[in-house]
Amino acid sequence: MLAYREKDNLIHKLHPLAAVAYISIIIILSLIFSHPVYLLGLLLAVGTVIIASGNFREWTPYLLISLGMITVIMLVNAVFVQAGSTVLFYGPRVPVLGKIRITLEAICFGIGMGIRLLVIVSAFCFYTYAVHPDKALKLFSKFGNKSVLAVTLSTRLFPLMIRDVRRITEVQRCRGVKLDTGSRWQRVKNRLPVINVLLLSSLERSLQLAESMQARGYGSGKRTCYTRDLWRPRDCLIFSAAVLSLLTGIWAVWQGWAGYTYYPRLESLQLNDLKMAAVIVLALTVPTVLSWGWKKWPLLKSKI
Amino acid sequence: MAVIKIQDLTYYYPETQKPALDKINLEIPGGQFILLVGGSGCGKSTLVRALAGLIPDFYGGTYGGKVYINDKEIRQLDRRSLVRQVGMVFQDPESQLVMTDVEQEVAFGLENLGLPNSLMKRRVMEVTGALALSGYLRSFTPELSGGQKQKVALASVLAMQPEILILDEPTSQLDPIAGEEILTMVRRLNEENGITVILVEQRLERCFHLADRVMVMENGRILCDDAPDVVARWAAKNKTPFIPPLARLFAGAGFPEVPLTVKQGREILKSYDPLPGLRMQNLKIKRAGSAGGKCLVDIQNLWFAYPNGKEALKNINLKIRSGDFTVILGENAAGKTTLLKNINGLLKPGRGQVKVLNQDTKKLSVEELASTVGYLSQDPNDYLFLPTVREELVFTLNNLGLPDDGIIEKMLKRLQLTSCAEVNPRDLSAGERQRVALASVLVVRPQVLLLDEPTRGLDYRLKAELGNILLQLQAEGTAVLVVTHDVEFAAEYAGNIILMAEGTIIASGSKYEMLTRSTFYSPQISKLFNNLAEDVVTLEQGSEILTRLMGLNEDRVNCG
Repeated sequence: MLAYREKDNLIHKLHPLAAVAYISIIIILSLIFSHPVYLLGLLLAVGTVIIASGNFREWTPYLLISLGMITVIMLVNAVFVQAGSTVLFYGPRVPVLGKIRITLEAICFGIGMGIRLLVIVSAFCFYTYAVHPDKALKLFSKFGNKSVLAVTLSTRLFPLMIRDVRRITEVQRCRGVKLDTGSRWQRVKNRLPVINVLLLSSLERSLQLAESMQARGYGSGKRTCYTRDLWRPRDCLIFSAAVLSLLTGIWAVWQGWAGYTYYPRLESLQLNDLKMAAVIVLALTVPTVLSWGWKKWPLLKSKI
Repeated sequence: MAVIKIQDLTYYYPETQKPALDKINLEIPGGQFILLVGGSGCGKSTLVRALAGLIPDFYGGTYGGKVYINDKEIRQLDRRSLVRQVGMVFQDPESQLVMTDVEQEVAFGLENLGLPNSLMKRRVMEVTGALALSGYLRSFTPELSGGQKQKVALASVLAMQPEILILDEPTSQLDPIAGEEILTMVRRLNEENGITVILVEQRLERCFHLADRVMVMENGRILCDDAPDVVARWAAKNKTPFIPPLARLFAGAGFPEVPLTVKQGREILKSYDPLPGLRMQNLKIKRAGSAGGKCLVDIQNLWFAYPNGKEALKNINLKIRSGDFTVILGENAAGKTTLLKNINGLLKPGRGQVKVLNQDTKKLSVEELASTVGYLSQDPNDYLFLPTVREELVFTLNNLGLPDDGIIEKMLKRLQLTSCAEVNPRDLSAGERQRVALASVLVVRPQVLLLDEPTRGLDYRLKAELGNILLQLQAEGTAVLVVTHDVEFAAEYAGNIILMAEGTIIASGSKYEMLTRSTFYSPQISKLFNNLAEDVVTLEQGSEILTRLMGLNEDRVNCG
């Protein structure tokens, strides 16, 4: 089913352009930064925005899965990457890899990459739960109308197909099709009737859908794009803040402040390098601050 | 001036030799409400698709004759100007919605017409307001009810402001209340906005009286085209089943007046009132005796809750005996289907017991129960995937490890499927597909047969065929349990009625006591004779009373 649920807060009422720009900038920055503090700053910003949008509960499983993946990345990196000069542990000798050396640098590199992964996963989580997919897709409809429609149709038909599978499975079980017993191969084979019926019914439905689209003039000429989204001061503020953070980020990378050297020895943290991180985090937490103010002060609500 | 004019329209679907439309000639003036009726495959849907320009553009095939919309030949019109004039709503709401939310769906056609955003906003606002959809603008369409989805489909077409609105069985997939709501809206659009309406419909008791003209089709031809009362008399004379039960009753009994509504029928009866108080004539009809066969299903204190915590069944107690023909009636979400699924083992009771042939269903799998309890779900397409009808029947037998002792041939013959035994079931009509699905269930000789909404989308003739098959099975000792919204079907064929609401059995008993003392769950015939004669439920009973009434009236005239 559609994961997005409209909630009564400022984040859910943003113009899709502002929301998509914000998420894209977070992802771009997470890819160009390698400094763990800058990456942690991004995580902090996206985390507060997710909480402000009322989707903390939805974010939790993403966090848990990502933490698991971070642990794996960290371990694999520590075992396979022999670079780094601060050896914490000597392991046994294994074929191909030679003697295992677990270094502090390799572990830290793994953690850094893990934080990057967490930022990207959280950004996608935010997109899934706080931005209406149709609205976001509409932004791109001028460039690829047919592709956008195909994606929209998939979103619309996916829940229907899940319902179909459940129903067809029940019907076929009532005809004696054994789906839960027998060997794994047998069970896969027994699913064929369900898949067959699903494919045939989906094909029939797609023809009916195409007919309905033709009856409503689809493909009869150039289409226009319906939109009712309003561009408000809040969108302007959030969009500007996101662009500011992007420009600051690029500047920080240009100056070498947002980069970090893990090998052969961890680079020491320079306070001067981190000033820009503070600017970026402040800019990216603008939606959180506005959302909080939107709830607290009716006057602000009316102004933005 | 005729809005629609058809001259010698003939059409063949690709790779067919028989015409789907055979020299149709027709004129429809603006603002008329046309009801198009006929059996499955008679050409109704083909005709309306030709009016919407989908035939031959979408379907291909061979096309002859001419269709004019506002004096312009339809094939000379570009598609944009055609869809601005003719809008079409289809049968299945699931298969005509494209977008994920209501607002975008309503705007879809407008975007296709290339309208400016300001005009689209206005049209969306107006049409969603008129159809009471304003509160659902941001709703995710797959989560709407069937009725709401069909309203969205209607709104999406109306937003394009067509002069002609075509509806192809728009209520066939809906429950009666949602269906009634759609028809009321359509009537309002015709009366208040002057939109020409062409409605293809099977539930004639709900819409026959709304029409200015009724057209009866058969084999691609229009057999009769006239005012509803004239068509009703013609249909009764020609033994065509495509008129509402009430009109069929009066026309069949030879009454000069043919009522289209219960109110009109009661007025006619009052004017014929030959004696003070018809009830004094003791026009009681004998009741069918209760079956009293062997107990096949014993449900004791059944409670069931879905994993999300929703309590769907509450303390159900029920016995189903061999030879019972029971119909379960009730609103949506009353727990009717959940009860069926608890009987065939798809769901297991939370508390209480369901025993089939004295065995607890908790200890049996669905597959083990399948040879005793047959289950026909709402959509026969869910069964059909093999290349031939015969293979579908063999498939069920093989799954359950049963031998073919001639049962396949017997079932094919009994359900009139012998001629299409080697045909792909997906190429058959809706009624035939349902019979194939039923045959694939009956081939294991189940002692209990469960049917979920089996009359959905069926015309009167197919319903009668299904009803007769079920009566035969009942006579052979099979217990038949049907879940339906179709009160007319229940009245004609059932023995007992169970009324369910909010997961409980509210009342149960013989159809004579259940359907005659109900405000909503009673057939047209019972409503007609309410307070005039007791326990009248079936068409046959009504006909008997009317015949006696006419006899009494004649005697009185002769004596007077």
